Amino acid sequence: MERSKQGGVRGAPGSAGWLAVGGLPTALFILFIGLPLLALFIRGFGQDGFWASLGQDTVLDALRLSFITSLIAVAVVAVVGTPMAYFLARSRFKGRGLLDALIELPIVVPPVVAGLAMLMAFGRNGLIGGALDSIGVSLPFTMTAVIFAQIFVGAPFYIRSAKLGFEAVDPGLEEIAQTLGRSPLQTFFRVTMPLASRAMIGGLVLCWARAISEFGATIMFAGNLPGRTQTMPLAILSALESDLGSALALSVILVLISLAVLVAVRLALRRSWELGT
Amino acid sequence: MTHSTGSGQAPLATSGRAEGWVRYRRDTFSLDVAWSVASGEVLSLYGPSGSGKSTTLRLIAGLLRPREGRIVVGDDEVFNGERAVWVSPHRRRVGYMPQQYGLFPHLSVYRNVAFGLSGGDKGDKTRRVMEVLGQLRVEDLAERYPAQISAGQQQRVALARALAPQPRLLLLDEPFSALDQELRVQLRGELKGVAAQVGIPMIVVTHDWADVLSLSDRVLALDQGKVVADGPPLELFERPSAEVLSRLTEVENVFAGRVTSLDRAAGVMSCDLGGVSLAVPFVALEAGATVRVGVRAGDILLATEPPKGLSARNVIAGKVVTVEGRRFETEVLVDCGRRFRVEVTPGAVESLGIAPGREVWLVIKSNSCFLIE
Repeated sequence: MERSKQGGVRGAPGSAGWLAVGGLPTALFILFIGLPLLALFIRGFGQDGFWASLGQDTVLDALRLSFITSLIAVAVVAVVGTPMAYFLARSRFKGRGLLDALIELPIVVPPVVAGLAMLMAFGRNGLIGGALDSIGVSLPFTMTAVIFAQIFVGAPFYIRSAKLGFEAVDPGLEEIAQTLGRSPLQTFFRVTMPLASRAMIGGLVLCWARAISEFGATIMFAGNLPGRTQTMPLAILSALESDLGSALALSVILVLISLAVLVAVRLALRRSWELGT
Repeated sequence: MTHSTGSGQAPLATSGRAEGWVRYRRDTFSLDVAWSVASGEVLSLYGPSGSGKSTTLRLIAGLLRPREGRIVVGDDEVFNGERAVWVSPHRRRVGYMPQQYGLFPHLSVYRNVAFGLSGGDKGDKTRRVMEVLGQLRVEDLAERYPAQISAGQQQRVALARALAPQPRLLLLDEPFSALDQELRVQLRGELKGVAAQVGIPMIVVTHDWADVLSLSDRVLALDQGKVVADGPPLELFERPSAEVLSRLTEVENVFAGRVTSLDRAAGVMSCDLGGVSLAVPFVALEAGATVRVGVRAGDILLATEPPKGLSARNVIAGKVVTVEGRRFETEVLVDCGRRFRVEVTPGAVESLGIAPGREVWLVIKSNSCFLIE
């Protein structure tokens, strides 16, 4: 409270004008975001069958599937993306800019296009789909396909953020850690990672948020099979056709979970050495 | 003085020297240097920026790899170009303190110092950390974070951290560059004490000649990647090769002598420097004590008549020996019983008519004279 008051006073070149320039747009934006969310909750809780639909199999299945797939996707991204981000942050070579751009490409490619592209690559008639098929692997319309889609769209967010985090860690500190008898691997876990942890966690949260809300690539590549590939966003669309109550219930749950994660991460990051005594 | 723990601590002193030679090249810069330091001895790597001092330190620490050479620490060869020996930095047991100290910002002072102590009994570890913190008189700061302590305290903590794992060689890169003058003088003295106490070879990089004089037993002066002088710092001035060195050091005049009288109230004491008497700032010494006095050539005024009514304590008559023009200043060598180098502008030489054989007076404030312990 006090902090915001102080900030307001310090930043005010002329209170009334300042409020008009900065305050009004802010208030409008909050309304713009808040109103639809509020409507979702009001309509949701007022809807017949809202509470009952929370226990429905399709809702529970979608919820479970979304969680499992998004967590696996995030885990894969963390394990593969971390060394990659570190490599990109520390090495200098020709074509690094190109590689950077390539890694960030999925951020700008529409997810539907990404899904179609994956189908063209891994689908039965895809580029390497035939080869996969001959060794008994069929990706499309499986849970693995759901995870693939989520990784495809979510990974760049983590890799980019972690890379920036690693770049901000002074390589001199890593050198000192080594002169103090720590191997490069120990140095990474004890110095580099703690110092880049904000960026890494921030990136993981973005990646997870992108994964759990993934729709376009999933429906193209993995389909919309209840219990198998129907994640929450897909279930919301399906439910909308028959049962607004279920759609609202799923939406409310999704919003609440996302909010909880956001708040939890913010709290966790606040307790850091930068502010600590 | 130190917090001796009594129980089962390994003795601090290890035997062995540090020596070697390396050749290294990066882009157009090439470095060719050889060194040798005995345990308990401090070697200064001295030179202007870009001379290769820090690079030499990083090569010894294993943070850079030489093209060829041989690096020995204690009894171990940690690099040998011919026999393809390479020990990675984390196995060298070489303490390294970089210029900005490089404390880990996310760790408390205690955990910074404990960082290099791996394995072993937890109690021993705690004792060792508190011991070195005590040795450097920063044990009160154990729970603080680097951002919460002063530059001088950071330097002590960084030194404690480097010493904690009992390295076989200690490398310090510009240990005083981030400190103000007063703190510099104080910490120089302390560092020297630590060096004597720990009894390992120490190599200190500096571009400040005062650091060299007060700290080191030997100095290796580098210029553009080459060794230009090597020996005890004071002897170097008395050698013919001193010209390069004095250009590097900017302390052109260094004389040995004795204290003849002290005047505490006036804040000065007189020193006989073998033919010349100089008033220098008061230091608690006995009459008869041997001293070395340094004066920068640029701090000396030149007069062509006996000056009067000056606050400066030293007015010394002499004769010009040589006048040597440089690009922006002229160096005049004046014989007053001892030879002083004096720096003046070329314009002054012309307007005053300074030439060899001319009688002149040197004017030196006592504050411009400094004692070299």
